[in-house]
Amino acid sequence: MTQEEFRRTLQGAVAGGHEDLEEILRLYMPMINKYSYLDGQLDEDLRQYIMIHIALNISKFPI
Amino acid sequence: MNYQQELEKDELRARFTGWLETTVYRAKLNYIRKTSQKIETVSIEEVAESSLVSGSQEQEWCRHLSPKDAFDFEEEKLAKAFAELPLMRQRILTMLFVEEKKPDEIAAKLNCSIQHVYNQRSLALKKLRTMLAEGGDML
Repeated sequence: MTQEEFRRTLQGAVAGGHEDLEEILRLYMPMINKYSYLDGQLDEDLRQYIMIHIALNISKFPI
Repeated sequence: MNYQQELEKDELRARFTGWLETTVYRAKLNYIRKTSQKIETVSIEEVAESSLVSGSQEQEWCRHLSPKDAFDFEEEKLAKAFAELPLMRQRILTMLFVEEKKPDEIAAKLNCSIQHVYNQRSLALKKLRTMLAEGGDML
């Protein structure tokens, strides 16, 4: 993803675009997975919780 | 695209990555806080004595309480007052003053904290003093 594409995608996600949000989540999935480990095991519930948390809060990111 | 524009866009991505990392970290903390199991604790005072010491255990404990292990009450009132104490407090007083066990040993035996032993001793002695004072006698 080029820098310009990233800017457009992020703007779309912040504005509430579902597809852009999906793209951002896909892009940052390694980070989400990294934080989804509890006691050395991937916690699927935590992963879902983090993704919902991002979806609910991404609109607060100041571009 | 000049260098300045490129730098600004990199800055946006870096800023978002930092923001997202903080957000994800906080989400994880929230999740752990919400899902961490809180162990329900009940004060030993609220637990019925029958559940603390079963009938057979109580009988066994009384049987093992040989005369030399038991209090030798000179005052009948004191004996009555002692008998009215909750069984657990009787046990703690007996272990403290008759068996001369240390509070940490009692705590280990009864599976409770040392502070609980001290508290029970204090409450038991206070109760005994009150009961004896009511009867016109002072411990």
